[in-house]
Amino acid sequence: MTDILRIKDLKVEFVLPHMRVKAVENVSFRIGAQETVALVGESGSGKSTISQAIMGLLPKVAQVTKGSIIFADPKKPGTRVDIAMLDRSGSDMRAIRGGRISMIFQEPMSSLSPLHTIGDQICEAVKLHRKVGSAEARELAVEMLTLVGFPQPKRSLKTYPFELSGGLRQRAMIAMALVCRPALLIADEPTTALDVTIQAQILRLIKEVQAELQMSVLLITHDLGVVANMADRMVVIYDGRVVEAGKTDDVFINPGHTYTRSLLAAVPHFDMGPDERLRPLREIKPKTGSLLASAGDGDTQQNTSDVPVTLALHPTMASEPVLAVRHLSKSFTTRKGNWIKSEERLIPAVSDVSLTVNRGECVGLVGESGCGKTTLSKLIMRAMSPDEGSILFRGESGQMTELTGLDEDQLNPYRKRIQFVFQDPFGSLNPRMTVQDIITEPMLIHGVGDSNYRQKMVLELMDLVGLDPRFLNRYPHSFSGGQRQRIGIARALSLKPDLLIFDEPTSALDVSVQAQILNLLKDLQRDLNLTYLFISHNLAVVDYVADRIAVMCAGRIVESAPREVLFKNPMHPYTQALLHAVPFADLDHLLDFDKIMDGKASDPSRWPAPFTINQTSEPKMMQVAEDHFVRAERADFTEIAI
Amino acid sequence: MLTYLARRLFVMIPTLFMISVLVFVIIQLPPGDFLTTYLNELQAQGEAVDPAKIEFLKRQYGLDQPIYIQYAEWAWGLLQGDLGFSFEYNLPVSDVVGDRLWLSLVLNFSTIIFIYIVSFPIGIYSATRQYSWGDYGFTLLGFLGLAMPNFLFALILLYYANVVFGTSIGGLMDPEYINQGWSLAKMMSVVEHLWAPVVVIGTSGTAAMIRRLRANLLDELGKQYVVTAHAKGLSPTKVLFKYPLRMALNPFIADIGNILPQVVSGSVLVSVVMSLPTTGPMLLTALQSQDMYLAGSFLMFLALLTVVGMFVSDVLLAWLDPRIRLQGGVGN
Repeated sequence: MTDILRIKDLKVEFVLPHMRVKAVENVSFRIGAQETVALVGESGSGKSTISQAIMGLLPKVAQVTKGSIIFADPKKPGTRVDIAMLDRSGSDMRAIRGGRISMIFQEPMSSLSPLHTIGDQICEAVKLHRKVGSAEARELAVEMLTLVGFPQPKRSLKTYPFELSGGLRQRAMIAMALVCRPALLIADEPTTALDVTIQAQILRLIKEVQAELQMSVLLITHDLGVVANMADRMVVIYDGRVVEAGKTDDVFINPGHTYTRSLLAAVPHFDMGPDERLRPLREIKPKTGSLLASAGDGDTQQNTSDVPVTLALHPTMASEPVLAVRHLSKSFTTRKGNWIKSEERLIPAVSDVSLTVNRGECVGLVGESGCGKTTLSKLIMRAMSPDEGSILFRGESGQMTELTGLDEDQLNPYRKRIQFVFQDPFGSLNPRMTVQDIITEPMLIHGVGDSNYRQKMVLELMDLVGLDPRFLNRYPHSFSGGQRQRIGIARALSLKPDLLIFDEPTSALDVSVQAQILNLLKDLQRDLNLTYLFISHNLAVVDYVADRIAVMCAGRIVESAPREVLFKNPMHPYTQALLHAVPFADLDHLLDFDKIMDGKASDPSRWPAPFTINQTSEPKMMQVAEDHFVRAERADFTEIAI
Repeated sequence: MLTYLARRLFVMIPTLFMISVLVFVIIQLPPGDFLTTYLNELQAQGEAVDPAKIEFLKRQYGLDQPIYIQYAEWAWGLLQGDLGFSFEYNLPVSDVVGDRLWLSLVLNFSTIIFIYIVSFPIGIYSATRQYSWGDYGFTLLGFLGLAMPNFLFALILLYYANVVFGTSIGGLMDPEYINQGWSLAKMMSVVEHLWAPVVVIGTSGTAAMIRRLRANLLDELGKQYVVTAHAKGLSPTKVLFKYPLRMALNPFIADIGNILPQVVSGSVLVSVVMSLPTTGPMLLTALQSQDMYLAGSFLMFLALLTVVGMFVSDVLLAWLDPRIRLQGGVGN
């Protein structure tokens, strides 16, 4: 046996003055030489506590009260150290920590010190664990930065973390962890904070350096897609205990434990049939009452749950546009220079975006962080004013109205027709208002109904999102993330809006809760004939909820198509790159690491010929098939006539 | 960086100009001037005042001129290093102030250094051993220091020094050196007397600083980059000094500009109680008797301290923190 790490019967407790709280118990698993083991679990399951125990980085109040963590260093054959017995800040532990076992963290933004250069922080690690001089340490650092793919390793020694992009920071972090060539690398959610294309690059990088340095990897993640692509073996943690462990293939094909099965069933994947549903741990059954059944009124269709599935899937044919955005552009100005001579620079956030959302339809908007999708949603809400273009919205009168020229007072009637659900369920609810107040507030602001009506509406909304009406007097802090997001949805629905905009509504939630929320959104849309604009960076999520998908990159929509078409026949290189980069929790669809582009994917000037966007060419949207548009310059495509 | 320095220095000129105007206006705001106060006093004592003499004095002091001309003359004098003429003492301001300015500077700088030296180790101790007995003890002492008025502490100290040790700790030097030229013995005497006012004035500042350092450091200690540093295998002390402490320093450096005038104005009462030959008590009487050039000089001196303090802290911040240096528009 060449196990590097064997954890047996581990029990970690948080010892507080008046009580002891178990964090993990009865945890046993092993990590073989050059093996990748994934520790899978949802937030609060105790997976990070296990990694902290291995690193000797447990918080002061946490104690290993039982069990052992045996580390067999391949460099010193025959020796075995029980990490659980070592003094956490003693010299023995410190020699292992960072030297033989290294760790990379989730947040590349905050895990490097902003006051010290990359070179300083990497060289410090080398000098701690090896007897080398400054010049030699610098050489090793450059060597490692080259290995992790820094474009100019020598120069980057002198850069500060805030001068680098998120992907490069994570590479620097990896270089720092690996510079002492550890036997084991612990990666705690290493790609959760990164965009999909960067995530794929970092995953590929971890695989490459693992082979190069012949080390083992302990991967801590909640993302089963990452597990399927990376791990040899996986350990599933639930509530501080190991519920299942085994080879990744075996667990995926034949999950033994109910929890593993439900976890796998809760992840959206690509080849889901039109009627196939995610199965969350706990399903919410929305109940529609009399007040809400007429949501989306002004429409003759009284759609309820008896609408045939086929019609709900292709509402484009049956319906009229609710929102039509045409050639919308918005730039932000940054000032550079001193106060004598200042130079203003325009940074385009959204340029030439056209988008139509029809009644009863869900349009997905996909793009990476910084691509302008949130700016676009703010423009539609008229939280900002566009520089150019038009926003047509079908108001109560049934006529399409231009929103761009209206002032605050004129906008007021439209404000209640468009509602918004935010990404962060913790920040978007006022902690000093009860749930009742939160859901009633929009109605009060717009003077909808009398107090009787509002009370009835609140009760109905609580029923609708599956929350007990007895919770109405509670404050947001007593709810979980998923419950809070449901409160946010109830609040958005209280005005019976014509259009609901969701900005990454599930990205802060665990997969099983995400499945719950996504199913709820689908059911609500079907029952109440709602219209959604669904913004997300997660292609699989968008694929699950959306009828049509628009892909956005660098402020422009580069491709839009019905979802089946987009996934079957992606035309734009960026869409293709995105599709190649998404790790699916499916062993039949593993990432093809050779196809991942190194940072070129989201740079419009580096897209191949008909798609290139630079000073000389500014391609427009072209129709390639019915309802399928691509931003390209080709004579054989006809430009869409709007 | 050089252009930043130049720009920063350049900004100080209009700032000081504005302050000088404000100072002058504020001194002129109360009705009347030094002469009317003086006349009232004479009349109250039953002395007859010759109108010709008043006219003469008015002309001599330039009080018959319009305000803006008075200001221009005062400002022009300031630029040349001439602080003007004190009505009350009948002497040039610079002679009246004499050593007081320097003694004030010495006293206040010693106080600031005392605050830093005492509060840093205690702040670090309190933050790293949060909720320990030591932390609670220092917290209690800190609150006492904050709650007790400085002059009260001064009185208590004076009383016990006299009763228990039989010495007088008032003043900044032994009586025989007052109004004497500077000598080594006089300097030693100043050093001997300095500790008492420094401790008295410094306590509340120290207490406040400990609380702030503790809070800042506690914030930083929980940050992810500290965990990263531990994960490298650095020893806990090294981690503390290289990473979180360095980050926690920013607010202190940013504070230099504030702390100077704070200490100066906070020491006025203590100076009165302990009869210290500093600028504080003199500023007080000058304001009362509307001795405008004397008061103006003191206020300008305070303003200069603030502006220079701000400049020093800005430069230090830019030098210490690369984020400010490289992102805050310093580099261009």
